[in-house]
Amino acid sequence: MELSHEEILRYSRHLLIPEVGLEGQQKLKASSALVIGTGGLGSPVALYLAAAGVGRIGLVDYDVVDSSNLQRQVIHGTSMVGKLKVESAKQRLLDLNPLIQVEAFNEPFTSENAIRIAKDYDILIDGTDNFPTRYLTNDLCVFLGKPNVYGSIYRFDGQASVFFAKEGPCYRCLFPEPPPPGLVPSCAEGGVLGVLPATIGSVQASEALKLLLGIGSPLIGKLLLYNALDMSFDFVTLKKNPKCRVCGPNADVTELIDYEEFCGVPGHDHEDDGSAGADWDISASDLRARVSSASGLLLLDVREPHELAISALRGATNIPLGQLAARLSELDSAREMVVFCKAGTRSARALELLVSAGFKKVKNLKGGINAWAREVDQSLPIY
Amino acid sequence: MPVIRIPAALKYYMDNHSELDIPASSVIDLLAALAERYPSVKFHLLDADGKLRRHFNVFVNGVHIRELDGLATKLNPDDKLILLASAAGG
Ligand SMILES: [Zn+2]
Repeated sequence: MELSHEEILRYSRHLLIPEVGLEGQQKLKASSALVIGTGGLGSPVALYLAAAGVGRIGLVDYDVVDSSNLQRQVIHGTSMVGKLKVESAKQRLLDLNPLIQVEAFNEPFTSENAIRIAKDYDILIDGTDNFPTRYLTNDLCVFLGKPNVYGSIYRFDGQASVFFAKEGPCYRCLFPEPPPPGLVPSCAEGGVLGVLPATIGSVQASEALKLLLGIGSPLIGKLLLYNALDMSFDFVTLKKNPKCRVCGPNADVTELIDYEEFCGVPGHDHEDDGSAGADWDISASDLRARVSSASGLLLLDVREPHELAISALRGATNIPLGQLAARLSELDSAREMVVFCKAGTRSARALELLVSAGFKKVKNLKGGINAWAREVDQSLPIY
Repeated sequence: MPVIRIPAALKYYMDNHSELDIPASSVIDLLAALAERYPSVKFHLLDADGKLRRHFNVFVNGVHIRELDGLATKLNPDDKLILLASAAGG
């Protein structure tokens, strides 16, 4: 694939590296990468692949840009809040490099559409925010024989690897099963340092470029573990798991499955209306009526102590979810109780725990204190 | 004594330590000692049968315990362990 004079000038700093050169840059122009998720990881990955001149970049996401994304999702800007993420990202990428093609897939990535979307791309980049999409991306890559450039982030911790079943282990070789629902907090619940995805995303972009160029030693069979607080980079070696259900010799998963069912959680990381099920939920406005009728209602706040500085409900008892199991004796099971957290997800888990411990008069504040801030008390911030 | 790196998702239950020195002569003993020192981490780490939950992986000096003797892997005082948890965030 020939390069124009315009391209030769643009990619001049690549052409000067012997490992890339004119031939390598032509390879990049002829190559393609599918970026799954245009969030924290997808932002730097897509920006750097576009800048590097990867000829065709696909973007999959079905979300809209929210102002709480902008602390880390640097592909989007304030003027794009409320707009489709894939459209916002596409516009930014084409502004950065109008000489490439960008394909936007504004749809959830599912077992039904994944093959159609991914089959014509050379590599897949996993920048998603949830377990179902991660297992889907892995299995899809195993079945299509494509490399899966993996990254994940939480607070100050990041992981990166290249899962490529033809040459090494896959994601399932390492994590045969997803965690039980609710046991591993997401970034929406636990937070993430804004710059963390830049470190991990740039590792993913480097690995993607190396694979497309066919240079260097890829991160196959190795996992990078990064911690920003200690500024530590650890590598561990990974081998194929002979018992792997998708790439092992006795694999019994031979086609895409229902990943939301497999993981027991939805394929996204939204917690806007965290619910424990209709029978167990109470709305913010119903709770206001209950509170003002001055019953002996106990408000149980299961958020972390540092979140109380952001917003709080007067008179609430704070027992963080992680301590609840050990502190049940502090609660009176005869008393009516409403459990709440930021957005209703952690409190739904707390409710399960309470019910399984014999508490019967428990309700979950649907949508959490954020719903209360929206519907009842606008003096509280939403976070 | 062996040192173990704690994943971010569990630090909170372990007084925010990112690394701990735990006297133990095998991986299983070390995990049991962790669970004993920090009771609230036990449920996260071990399932109802006391087995390590399958979204965790343990590496000794960078090698997966599957390639060694699994949870029975013997430890030397200068061994470095990594407890790896799956994370979905992106
Ligand atoms: Zn595998």
